[in-house]
Order: sequence, then C-alpha cells, then structure tokens
Amino acid sequence: MKLFFREHMFLIAVQVIQFMVVFLTIWLSGFHNVSAIFYAIFLQVFFFVCYLAYHFFSRRNYYEKLEEGIERLEDALENTDRAPIAKQLDSILKRQYQLYATELREAEERQEEHLEFVDRWVHQMKTPLSVIELTAQNLDEPDSSSIREETERMKSGLNTVLYMARLRTIEHDFHIKPVRLSNIVRDVNTENKRFYIRSAVYPKLVEQQAEMVVESDEKWLFFILEQLIQNAVKYSAGKSNQIEIHLYNRGSSAVLEVRDEGTGIPVEDQRRVFHKFYTGSNGRKYRESTGMGLYLVKEVSERLGHKVEMESVVGEGSIFRIVFSPTQNLTPM
Amino acid sequence: MQKILIIEDDPKIAGHLKIFIEKYGYLATVIQDFDDIMKQFRIEQPDLVLLDINLPAFDGYYWCRQIRLESICPVLFISARTGEMDQVMALENGGDDFITKPFHPDIVMAKIRSHLRRAYGAYAAKHEECILEAEGLKLYPERFELHFRGSQTHLTKKESDILESLLDRYPRVAGREDLLEKLWDDQTYVDENTLNVNITRVRKKLQELGIERAVETVRGAGYRLRISWEVEE
Repeated sequence: MKLFFREHMFLIAVQVIQFMVVFLTIWLSGFHNVSAIFYAIFLQVFFFVCYLAYHFFSRRNYYEKLEEGIERLEDALENTDRAPIAKQLDSILKRQYQLYATELREAEERQEEHLEFVDRWVHQMKTPLSVIELTAQNLDEPDSSSIREETERMKSGLNTVLYMARLRTIEHDFHIKPVRLSNIVRDVNTENKRFYIRSAVYPKLVEQQAEMVVESDEKWLFFILEQLIQNAVKYSAGKSNQIEIHLYNRGSSAVLEVRDEGTGIPVEDQRRVFHKFYTGSNGRKYRESTGMGLYLVKEVSERLGHKVEMESVVGEGSIFRIVFSPTQNLTPM
Repeated sequence: MQKILIIEDDPKIAGHLKIFIEKYGYLATVIQDFDDIMKQFRIEQPDLVLLDINLPAFDGYYWCRQIRLESICPVLFISARTGEMDQVMALENGGDDFITKPFHPDIVMAKIRSHLRRAYGAYAAKHEECILEAEGLKLYPERFELHFRGSQTHLTKKESDILESLLDRYPRVAGREDLLEKLWDDQTYVDENTLNVNITRVRKKLQELGIERAVETVRGAGYRLRISWEVEE
C-alpha cells in the first residue's frame, strides 16, 4: 500500500493540478455555474479513483512482494499476479533462481569431486606407507622405530583427513547399532599400542559395571574415543604414566570417561577447545596439534546424539566424558 | 610344503609378503601378469591366495569370483579400503577374510596359518613346525620350548615372545617398543616393568641351559642377542 502510494504520488499531484487548471480555465472563460463545474470535476475524480483502485487491486500481490521481499528461495518461484509487469517480475526471479541453482549444483559437484579425489588419494597413500613400514622393520634400531614413529603419524594424519572428508556426509555414513563399550575401548587401545608404549603412558580400564552396551555408530565412536585417548596420552607424557578409562552409569545415562593426570587445560582456553583450529596454549607447547581433534569430537558426538563434557585443572589433569542418553543406554540394569 | 599365491600389484609389498611367508616355511609365488591370473592360478594350484582389491584390468572381487568357480581354497583380501561395504563385498564375493593396509606382518601370518589350519585340517602333517635357530639355540614358538645342546626348558608365552623377537632380529637389535608391543595383551595391559621383569626371566631361563650374558642391553634402543657360547663346528 505504502509503496503503491509513493509510486503514484506524482500522478496524483499532477491530477490535482490538472483539476485546478481545468476549474480555473472554465471559470476565467466566464462560465460561472459552480455546481456544473464541480460535477464535471467530480466525474473526473471518480474515474481517476476507479483507475487507481483497479490498478492497485490487480497488482496487490506484486506490490506486496516488492515491499516485503522474499524469505526463502522457493518464494521466488511463486506466481505473483496476472498483470504484465508482475509476470515480468516473476520470470526474472525464476530465471535468477535457475541461474543460481545451476551454479550451486556445479559448486556441489566440484566439491563432491574434490572429496572423492581426497578419499582416493588417502587410500593410495596407504600402499607406499605400508612399504615404508615393512622396509623399516628390517632396519636396525633405533632407526627402525624412529621411521615407524613417523609413518604412524602420517597414518593417523591420513585417517583424520578421511574422517574430515566424511563429516559432511556423515548422516549417510551412520550405521547405528548396539556397541559394547569395553570392546571398543580394547580395540582403540590395541590400535594405539605403539603410541602408548612410545609415550610411556599406559591405559587402565575401570568398569563400574561390566557389559555396558550403548546405541551408537561403532566406527565414529571409535574415532571419537581415539581422539580423546590420544590427547590424554599426549598431554600426560612425562608427567604421569597412566590414563584411566572409566565406564559407568550416571542415573540412567551411560558414561565413557577418559581421565588423565597430565598438563590440564587453562581456564581461558576451556571455552574454546572445541572450536575449529583452536590450539590454545597447550597446543602451542606440544607439537603436532592441529586444533581439529576436539572439534571433530564435538561435531560427531552432536550428530550421534551424545554429549561431551569436560573438566580440567591446570597441573592436575583433564577429564573428558561422552554421555550417552538414557534411550541410547542398552545396558541391562 | 603349502603354496601361497600373492596377487598384489605393488611389487614391493608383494616382495615383503613373499619374504615373510617364506620365513615361516611356506612357498610363495607372486603374480607378474595381471591379465590372465587364472592361467597362473591353474599352473600354481595354490593352497591359499592373498588378493588385493585394486588391480590393473579387473578388480579383486572379479578374480575372487573366478577362483571360486574352480577352487575352494582360502582367499584373504588385503586392501587399503577400509569401508564396511568393501569388507562386505569381499566376503560376499567369496573371500574368507579381510586385512586392511597398512598391515602388520604378524597379523597376516597369523591369519594365513589359521585359514590353512581350518581348510586343510588342524596341524596337518604337511605343515612343518616353525623353528627359530641361532648357532644351536633352538626355539619352538608353538610349543613354548627352548632347546640347546640336548637340554631343554619350558617357557611362558611372554618369554617365548621375547626370545622369538630376539632370534628373529638377530644380529640386529630388537627394539624396546617392538618387544613391548609383542607383550601387549588385550586383557592385561603392559607397562615398562613388564619388559624388564620378563627380560630377567629370559636371562634366567638361558642360564638354566648354561648360557650366560646372551641378552645384551642396548641403551635407548632395546635388546640384542649375543652369541656368548662357543659355536660348534
């Protein structure tokens, strides 16, 4: 409405001037029948108002759309009015929508292609890595262990890349099923044997209740736990020689807790440790901190519907917990 | 002697596998021509096949199906692919097991042995017992026994593991990390002391056989076997 009036303000002003000019012309020409003149002007005004009303009602949606804009992308596809100008607007919006859609699709395809490339490349790298590892095993110490330490770091780096690439399509990658927690802890520990040994930090599993089972995705839970354990070991090395992994029920929720007596996280960093690429003061002191680990833990847990908790005191250590909701807890009570 | 066919297009990996397999007393053949694997399969008539998935021309799934048309010998897939779907595909196409790269040679050997046992009867007469030997000192890792000049002694699993590494690595150093890794047990986790304690026990066992100071500590690296006894000609 407002826009309509603004749009027609000038026309209305011109009309008013016209009425006055017509009135004056007739008056000055010597015709002094006021009621006849006013009647003529009234007719003029009547037709003018009719025109404006018709114009407005036939283009009401059009003006509305122009005034309010569109909220969602799909709004651009809605038909506005039958008036030619409204149709023209619709066709432009549709065209624009199409152009953007094409561009978006192309961008998505490019990204898809890139992800696939990354995925293949990572898998390709595993073969040379195997060769280096096998060759290193035949060397004498300490070179042998030293080379294998590096290949292991490459291996874990490659794995993070894979998981990172899969994160975007994580919903398609989930296979939710019952997972026995003690099994997954054991698998992660076995997988990271050498990392423990090299750091001279050893795990201890404390099961408050045996046979705990939760509903989750095994592969991603493995990944989360591996990140937490690797952090715990990394920040314990040289300070303590043990990390503890606790399994217990809290109320009706199942809890998987990784507890270390390492460096601890300063209070000012605690809020941000789950942020992408945030390394904090510990990350700067220790090498090979990417700032990705805890971010991925948080992201993946959220999508799996698990909660992540953290407590930490500088100099005393940190506790990270994965809390499985009561509905995900399948442990027989 | 049982024959194992290695179908892997990376020559170095294939070479390493061949060396490991032959060390354990099996015969290993590496496929050179990937266009007609079946022809070579028929010539070799292997008892077990190690199969990669990514191969030139056809993939491993295809070859596994071809093998299955004429043989029921165990087929173990070795691949860099780790997806659940790949493993399902491998088993659905007739594979018996799946090993992911990068693999640990001990695991590959253990799986080969377990599948051979299963396929051709437990401890078939064909299979020769594995013996590790250095200048008259003989270790039977499957029986946990150590023999030296007519006398013998029983070992625990952990002692046998340590001696196996020492003999296997001789004359090189057996790395600390490798020894600890070998001792690592899924149920009870190791720590630094486990190794020290067990090395002491191994030394004692060697003393029982009349061998002194044969396990030498190499600082910062690990332990090395030293031939401290007089070698008989």
